[in-house]
Amino acid sequence: MRKRLLGAMTLALLIVVAGVGCSSKKKATTSGAAGGGVGDEALGSGAGSLEKYKQGLPPGEEGPLKDVHFAFDSYDLDEESRGVLRDNGNWLKDHSTAKAEIEGHCDERGTVEYNLALGAKRARAAKDYLVALGVEAGRLTTISYGEELPLCHEHDESCWQRNRRAHFVVPSE
Amino acid sequence: MKRSWLVVGALLGIFMRAPETSRAQVKGTIFGPGERSYPIALSPLKSLSGGGGDLATQFADIIGRDLSLTGYFKLLDRAAYIEKPDASGYTAETINFDNWSVIGALALMKGAYTLEGDNLTIEVRLFDVYQRRQLAGRRYHGSASELRRMANKFADEIMTQFTGERGPFDSRIAFASTRDGRFKEIYAMSPDSGDLQQLTKTSTINISPSWSPDSRVLLYTSYKTRNPNLYAIDFFGGRETRISDRPGLNLGGKFSPDGTKIALTVEENGNADIVVVDRSGGLVRRITDNWSIDVSPTWSPDGRQIAFTSNRAGGPQIYVAGVDGGEARRVTFTGTYNTSPAWSPKGDRIAYVSRLDGGFNLFTVKVDGGDPHQLTQGTGDNEDPSWAPDGRYLVFSSSRGGHSKLFVTDASGSSQVQLTHGGGDDTSPAWSRWLD
Repeated sequence: MRKRLLGAMTLALLIVVAGVGCSSKKKATTSGAAGGGVGDEALGSGAGSLEKYKQGLPPGEEGPLKDVHFAFDSYDLDEESRGVLRDNGNWLKDHSTAKAEIEGHCDERGTVEYNLALGAKRARAAKDYLVALGVEAGRLTTISYGEELPLCHEHDESCWQRNRRAHFVVPSE
Repeated sequence: MKRSWLVVGALLGIFMRAPETSRAQVKGTIFGPGERSYPIALSPLKSLSGGGGDLATQFADIIGRDLSLTGYFKLLDRAAYIEKPDASGYTAETINFDNWSVIGALALMKGAYTLEGDNLTIEVRLFDVYQRRQLAGRRYHGSASELRRMANKFADEIMTQFTGERGPFDSRIAFASTRDGRFKEIYAMSPDSGDLQQLTKTSTINISPSWSPDSRVLLYTSYKTRNPNLYAIDFFGGRETRISDRPGLNLGGKFSPDGTKIALTVEENGNADIVVVDRSGGLVRRITDNWSIDVSPTWSPDGRQIAFTSNRAGGPQIYVAGVDGGEARRVTFTGTYNTSPAWSPKGDRIAYVSRLDGGFNLFTVKVDGGDPHQLTQGTGDNEDPSWAPDGRYLVFSSSRGGHSKLFVTDASGSSQVQLTHGGGDDTSPAWSRWLD
């Protein structure tokens, strides 16, 4: 556990340092890329939202797998979400040893317990879709954080929309 | 914890109470209907032994804070009091009631204390100023650290005298808070907001505390080992047991009224359902078993039914199911988003949170689903209701002032008083039963 934490912290530091230059590369894939890609896409983002929160790091959306968003009080996948999941699924199929933890999140409205259950549904919906796309179920775990670990704190729809998400964490190993 | 003082207090209470006949005519005539500002003076205690520091005023202050939460009383400003406690009597025969009627008091609390080492004895009485007579009296004996319990018990006694029902203040309120940093930890305090104690120090997320019926154990959910597990922690001594660590959510644990079982939300394949387990976490019974989100169990006072939140009808609503099985029935029919049920200790109503016009507000509804009553409106998000042990008050979390703070309201919503202040967010309050 400590080793992983250290690895995650180092990686987080690398990402923070390299972040300025790397943000433009977010859309590029690295599947089959030649040799030792040091860029943050070849390696997982490492730390999940809770680990980052404990270390005092800001939550982020970086990493090879993108967030999937949901409507209020819903865990249905719309057209756009399915598109993101297809991309995520392709990455996972290209990196066949990679595992992913899928976090379910909600916006700040609504009660804590209901939102934890809703987050669990969202994470599960994303996982089920990836499994249907051919990713082995054993590579995917889920966890819900409800409204506890938001990306942003403003009290408006644009922030709430960002928070209603399934977030993917690919641990570095 | 010393129990001797209880016995002494009870015995002497009998001798110092007003005779039964006059008490019967006093109840119901002291408070008129809708009484909201009954003027009461709370005199600091007279010191019979010296020492004690500010104990004399602390006792009166605690009772003052308790009574200010009830919505019944107007606390007269101590600066207006004419007499000094140490120079005046504290019995019906020795009190100069004119000194109190002249400042507008209709009720008066007066008493004395002795402190010998750590042994504290408090003798305190409640008077009707106009009739110039004693309504109630108590003697408490214990360690100096039990001052707060003595004060809360007498506040409850004052409520008994004026309303016919025991007040809720000899109890505790637990809650989750980020007051000491970014992590949500579990705290507990007395209802007068004193005796604040931090019960967890985990540097992670801790939520949904709830009390055992004897108020000695607190259940809560923590992410401290990554999976959100359900723990039980002893209020005295802090010994902790892990009750349920099923993969996924182990959330919203609530003791049954007889303390032998725990209802909680668990998760299977992303689906939240309510189960009942024994005190070591072994499954006793499933309460729900379907595709919908089912969360937030709350027991009826007779332990026979559980109310909970379910979105089986599309959006979240409150349902009631028998613990022994049978179909759940819906009890909320107004609004599209109703969560967070809390069953009143009186058994007749369930409090819950309803989303209205973008904000969240407190409601209560009859157990059969009738007569929904709104308690808060237009004041930010009001969530997480928890009933006081007397079933007449609720503590809840409100963001009306910006950050989430705890408030106390009466069951009608007409008296709402802020309970916690300061930094961070205070959420998820749980009001225990009486401490004995």
